[in-house]
Amino acid sequence: MAKVTIDNQTFEFEGQQGLLQFCLDNGVDLPHFCYHPAMSAPANCRQCLVEVGTPQRDRATGEVNLDDDGNPVIQFMPKLQTSCSMQMSDGMVVKTHRSSELVKRAQKDTLEFLLINHPLDCPICDQAGHCPLQNQAYKHGPEGSRFEFEKVHKPKHIDLGPRVVLDGERCINCTRCVRFTREVSKSDQLTIIERGVKNYPMTPPGVDFDEPYSMNVIDICPVGALTSKEHRFQARIWEMSKTPSISTVGAKGSNCYYWVKDNQIMKVTPRTNMDVNEFWLADEERLEYTKFNDDRPEGPTVEGADVSWELAWKAAADCLEGVDGSRVLFLGSAWATVEDNYLLTKLAKHVGAPAPMYLPHRKAGHGDEWLRTDDRTPNAQGCELMGMQHGVIGELKAKLNSGEYDVVYIMEDDPVASAMCTVNELKNVKVVLHYYNSTNQTLAAADVALPAAMAVETVGTYVNMDGHAQRLRPAKAIAGVNRTLSMEIGKCRADRHGTPFDRWYNESNLVNCQPGWVSLPEIAAGLGLELSYKGPRQIMDEVSESNPSFKGATYSAMGELGVRLETTGITA
Amino acid sequence: MSKAGDWRNYKRVLLPPVKDLHRLDAYEANEGYAALREVVTTDKWTPTSVTDEVKKSGLKGRGGAGFPTGLKWSFMPPVDPEIPRYLCCNGDESEPGTFKDRQLLEYNPHLVFEGMLIASYAMSIKTAYLYIRGEFADWITHMEAELEKAYQKGYVGKNIMGSDFSCDIVIHKGAGAYICGEESSLMNSLEGKRAYPRIKPPFPAQKGVWGYPTTINNVETLACAPLIIRNGGEWYAGIGAPNHAGPVLYGISGHVNRPGVYEYPTGMLITDLVNEVAGGMRGGKKLKALVPGGSSTPVLRADMIDGVTMDADSLREAGSMMGTSGMLIMDEDTDMVSFLRRITHFYHHESCGQCTPCREGTGWLENIVTRIDEGEGNLRDLDLLIDLCSQMEGRTVCALADAAAWPVRYTIDRFRDEFEAKCKPSLVASGVDMATA
Repeated sequence: MAKVTIDNQTFEFEGQQGLLQFCLDNGVDLPHFCYHPAMSAPANCRQCLVEVGTPQRDRATGEVNLDDDGNPVIQFMPKLQTSCSMQMSDGMVVKTHRSSELVKRAQKDTLEFLLINHPLDCPICDQAGHCPLQNQAYKHGPEGSRFEFEKVHKPKHIDLGPRVVLDGERCINCTRCVRFTREVSKSDQLTIIERGVKNYPMTPPGVDFDEPYSMNVIDICPVGALTSKEHRFQARIWEMSKTPSISTVGAKGSNCYYWVKDNQIMKVTPRTNMDVNEFWLADEERLEYTKFNDDRPEGPTVEGADVSWELAWKAAADCLEGVDGSRVLFLGSAWATVEDNYLLTKLAKHVGAPAPMYLPHRKAGHGDEWLRTDDRTPNAQGCELMGMQHGVIGELKAKLNSGEYDVVYIMEDDPVASAMCTVNELKNVKVVLHYYNSTNQTLAAADVALPAAMAVETVGTYVNMDGHAQRLRPAKAIAGVNRTLSMEIGKCRADRHGTPFDRWYNESNLVNCQPGWVSLPEIAAGLGLELSYKGPRQIMDEVSESNPSFKGATYSAMGELGVRLETTGITA
Repeated sequence: MSKAGDWRNYKRVLLPPVKDLHRLDAYEANEGYAALREVVTTDKWTPTSVTDEVKKSGLKGRGGAGFPTGLKWSFMPPVDPEIPRYLCCNGDESEPGTFKDRQLLEYNPHLVFEGMLIASYAMSIKTAYLYIRGEFADWITHMEAELEKAYQKGYVGKNIMGSDFSCDIVIHKGAGAYICGEESSLMNSLEGKRAYPRIKPPFPAQKGVWGYPTTINNVETLACAPLIIRNGGEWYAGIGAPNHAGPVLYGISGHVNRPGVYEYPTGMLITDLVNEVAGGMRGGKKLKALVPGGSSTPVLRADMIDGVTMDADSLREAGSMMGTSGMLIMDEDTDMVSFLRRITHFYHHESCGQCTPCREGTGWLENIVTRIDEGEGNLRDLDLLIDLCSQMEGRTVCALADAAAWPVRYTIDRFRDEFEAKCKPSLVASGVDMATA
């Protein structure tokens, strides 16, 4: 196998590989700005310079020349090379800043240049705290600046489009954003304008930077030049907790991080998963987070009156007690987790009702073969694999109006908003509703209304359109959850590293709701059905054992990146 | 010792003294397109033998780097009928002090066309681009008209002069950026892209214009090709300096009596060029400094040019480079700080901004040199300037950073006393007690 020596350590490699990526993959940290694994390497930031040598070969014979000790003679290239654009070859010898003073100096020099015209407004910059320029200047940069002139001035706070704002002065011209629109999203909506030190990215005349993936440039920007119009100046990075989870917008199940401050979702950013969304997230997946914060209910109600959870669960059980099971409509949900739908299926079976259905939420023509899908729900595939049928709106409406149902049990959906029925049409049946937001239009018809935990507050599993089963983790606490005891909720840096007396999280904005896996066993207990599990982990263990479609989809197997199920029920 | 032989009786070949040579009829009457006719219509020549003849001539590129032209042509991969190949003639002449290609484009454009066609024949190229800087607008208009005439006469286009060799020439107008003279940047500009230089490898011969094999030559280089075919490689190799043969257009500017473009063999003594060709120093002043090959080549002091000839070897020994042989002559009254200020301004203005060291460094250099020129500089600024040059040289995609750094490094190195004199006096040197100051 081919070998490469980096700082006197020998590595083996196969095939064609870029040097910088190989270093990063093998724990050899190299500073860099313009390089991104998903895009071409323009080698323009000049930060990843290294010394590169190759075995010297005899011109006549092509044989490698050996020194007195029998080792190959290494001929170093006269100039430093950018590791991002350098392809490795057998016998190559590389010296990074760990073993070469020249490289160390070059990295420092480049950082000095990068900083002379950078505004250094870190105290008010959204990128501060997770800024590659800040971090690398700290690690590899000069102690001070020798620059004694006025910095170059460029346009600031320019709206490139409806969602992205540019600060031209912070830009270090790495061209990652330009290459993103050229090579990844292929919208070609950005280019570099001006010349030399006045360069900055801009849209062509008359073009708005409004492509559906525009906000990815904010993440890949190595400085704070590109910021989110929505999020800028809203929170410091160290006061937000970051929880790895799954996007709930669409059926792609893009991996993401939810950022939380004061129990409110502040922003959503992509989490790399090469099997699902790679490095990216669609703008809609980032912006639909307000539903997690706004219009949240304040505890359960029965006939419109606030009651305790115990009474509410009892009332829900009473609705199902002694009814003819065939006259109960159970609606599961493609917003709800596999675990919760599984418990509902068990409950329906116990009552003697047909298996729950779920309502489809599709928007024809919305999908783009990338991250946006026609299906607006995250778990329709999971519902199908559970054996749940998707309900046909017209049929359900007809059945309801012909008086076939006595009870409609709705989990985490809104049939009124889906035009399955009107509030009036539900007047003659008992309605039990698990719901997320007080804007739920079915709420007006609910006899028992149970606020449900949303995807960012619960633990569970979604299966995306390609049959990839992935875990949800709670990003924010709800009423009754002890945040310090929940190992799954992310912590902000101030929480993690502060003293015990210096907690940044607080009890504000705690929603009084319960996840399905808490409510459903309580209701089942009222009907004499024992659904006692230690938690979603155990429920999923049972699902993976009992349902062949979910074979192997345990929590430990899913980890952070999920597992690909072998069989799939529907295609997107 | 001059290597230019009997240069006083030298007969000009690139810009011969013929009236109206820029017009096709005059060009035809003076052996015009005869070399091309011989190449494409007779069995005497094959693509390989044309390239070999150019190799034999010892022609080195006239665009600044001085790379052997025949060798460059032989880097083109073997012909594959499925894969197009291109020639680019680089007429984006914009280095300060360089104005020789412009003479060719204005006074002998058909020689350039003929050279491009011969080069295209040698490399089996069917499309040749002529990239000219946009500021040469008048000559571009004129050349387009002349090219049209050449097309009508069958010198360019399909089946040239009845042979089975076809080649088109496309004139492309630049938009006024120095960086477009860098070959890979020129290709990007030609493709309609932002003129950022490309990383090498891949080299143009592997992946050039539109991603296909491409050779890029300077205007003056290609203009030599018809002469080599007409008179033979040996004839050419016999002109001027042995290791850097051929006629060359010296662009002489500055404080001389007769600035201008002069055609002479390579290997001319610099003193001959200044004192005889250019008519001596203006106003009888003394020569102080001289830049031999365009603004990026290191400046030479008057005491460094004794016996130095205009060819790569001699100039390297003297501590400079041949470059484009655009000579900037400065007399004793020249303020070298002010000279450097103008040069640094140029490179600051023209840096494309792709690579960090050049984008940021060129501006910083100008800032400091300006401060020194205005009497506000400190002595430590001189060391900082040299340091910044080291931080820029060899660390960028193209050579613009080097071109910007060298004048700074060498002008300070060779005229340090003048720079020191313009700086604010050092407190220590002026006797101030630093302990109490």
